[in-house]
Amino acid sequence: MSKLKERMSGIGEFMSQPDDQLIICRCEEITKGEIRKAVHDGMFTMTEIRRYLRTGMGLCQGLTCASMVKRIVARELLISSMELEPAVSRAPMRPVEMKIFGNEEKEVK
Amino acid sequence: MERYDLIVAGAGPAGLSAAIEAAKRGLRVIVFDENEKPGGQLFKQIHKFFGSKEDKAKIRGFKIGKDLLEEANKCGVEVVLNAIVIGLYLDKEVTVKIGDGIQHFKGDTLIVATGASENMVTFDGWTLPGVIGAGAAQTMMNLHHLKPGNRILMLGSGNVGLVVSFQLMQAGCEVVALVDAAPKVGGYGVHASKIARCGVPFYLSHTIIKAEGEQFVNGVIIGEVDSSWEMISGTQKHFDVDTICLAVGLSPMSQLLKMAGCHMKDTPGGYIPECDEKGATSVPGIFVAGDVSGIEEASSAMIEGRISGIAAAEYLGFIDKEELKKSIEKQEKALISLREGMFAPENRGRSIKKTEEGIDVSINLLKKGYIEETEIERFPGFTKCKGVHPVIECTQNIPCNPCQEACVKKCIKIGEKITSLPAIDETKECIGCGMCVASCSGQAIFLVNEEYEQGYAAITLPYEFLPLPEVGSQGKALDRSGKEICAAKIIDVKTKKAFDYTHLITMKVPADMSRKARFFVNSRRCEDE
Repeated sequence: MSKLKERMSGIGEFMSQPDDQLIICRCEEITKGEIRKAVHDGMFTMTEIRRYLRTGMGLCQGLTCASMVKRIVARELLISSMELEPAVSRAPMRPVEMKIFGNEEKEVK
Repeated sequence: MERYDLIVAGAGPAGLSAAIEAAKRGLRVIVFDENEKPGGQLFKQIHKFFGSKEDKAKIRGFKIGKDLLEEANKCGVEVVLNAIVIGLYLDKEVTVKIGDGIQHFKGDTLIVATGASENMVTFDGWTLPGVIGAGAAQTMMNLHHLKPGNRILMLGSGNVGLVVSFQLMQAGCEVVALVDAAPKVGGYGVHASKIARCGVPFYLSHTIIKAEGEQFVNGVIIGEVDSSWEMISGTQKHFDVDTICLAVGLSPMSQLLKMAGCHMKDTPGGYIPECDEKGATSVPGIFVAGDVSGIEEASSAMIEGRISGIAAAEYLGFIDKEELKKSIEKQEKALISLREGMFAPENRGRSIKKTEEGIDVSINLLKKGYIEETEIERFPGFTKCKGVHPVIECTQNIPCNPCQEACVKKCIKIGEKITSLPAIDETKECIGCGMCVASCSGQAIFLVNEEYEQGYAAITLPYEFLPLPEVGSQGKALDRSGKEICAAKIIDVKTKKAFDYTHLITMKVPADMSRKARFFVNSRRCEDE
């Protein structure tokens, strides 16, 4: 817990901004304010943010919002966006229905 | 699990070019693409490409796509469409969604040419229906023949924003404004001029404040920003629009490479794999080509594709090091020349004051999208002489030279360096054939005859709108800013196969307008407004 406190010090209190209502992740309907708030809740990496808020986990898989979320988080952390590691890339790269995902070809014939 | 010498992800310009070169050298190649049509963005590109003649300049994008696909088929490349590469694992095993199942494939080499996705910007109302990406607009118009809207505001003055604005007008839409937060036009000046002279106003240092509407867009408010991107109060402007088109850059779709364990780096241009000049990533046998390794034009993507295809052949031992070197030497030279000039990657963000020839650049071109009459005189393509002669309003060093080849009389000189400004050789006689006008991808060449008739000049201009004006039609001549300046009458309309749908119309204007008049509108349109 003290480690977290150490990480948090320096970024200040969460202050609301006029455009906090703006939706950033359209698929999961996550607003700018929610993303900024998450940083103050201790989510400092893109992977943490993704698990906490589900940003980039909807239909487009972050194709639209990933870089925007990253910029918002970086700004909140007072660092450059390039210092933040993007979230882990995992298969499937595109949303795939479960019935198809489960219909995987069996071992070599 | 099927095994291939080379698996390519992405059937765009880079992927297809890579597949062709590898297949030519004996590799068994398969290409997967998630779309229902191959060619990536090429099939949406209805404009003529820039570059050198050897690299398909002045050919329209969709034609290049068709040619590439034909060549790929001829070389025995398997192209599988509606096939999404969803995973990339150790030992170059890929999983692909095809139909209702997931199939595994193994490649001895792999080329990732997945391209890029469009960036978005947020503003109040950005999620309203009617706010679309420029790529979406192109898909609607050029693939599905649908008008994206009637009154459109374009955000972004890069080449995508400029080219798509022109295409929107070709499709019959009205582009009410071109807006960019940057203080100067980002794309080629010739692309900007071609929409400015149709009357599209440019708002640089402006951005969108709000998209208006309850259910869908019915208006937009823009405002001016200062040098630190802060909104200047009292600068708001409203436009009635039904569509807002965003052309604010592209991001490499490099997630597959990260998944494969390639070393990645974050750059201002996006998250890209570390790779050498042959496209080899940190994972042996995995190569990249095209926008996925950094955003550029389709022409460079094709060359990068060829290089990585050849490199993959060498990696597997289909050719030796000597042949590799020989084969890619020419490609690398072409790539270097495409990356030269004012828009070269290293010049990004820099403000350039003079051309390579030492001429002051046109400030108006960067601020308003067109060159002022007072500025055009200092460029080597501008001449005034007896009889019909070309006037080339090409004032930035861009890698492009088809005009030089187009002139059978050798009136136009660019020289060895592809980025040099075209100059007129006044010792050679122009026969007014118009080949240069039609060959200029930037539509920046005009034929002017100052002494067409007593008191009248004739101006021939490239025209890519329908319906074509008819000989004898009366209308207005517009200047470079799109302002009506005088009455004009069409005296000739030329359409030839060699012009490739760039029609040449000649209008008669009062002699003192010969240096101003650069576009024509029919009287009927004038009355409508």
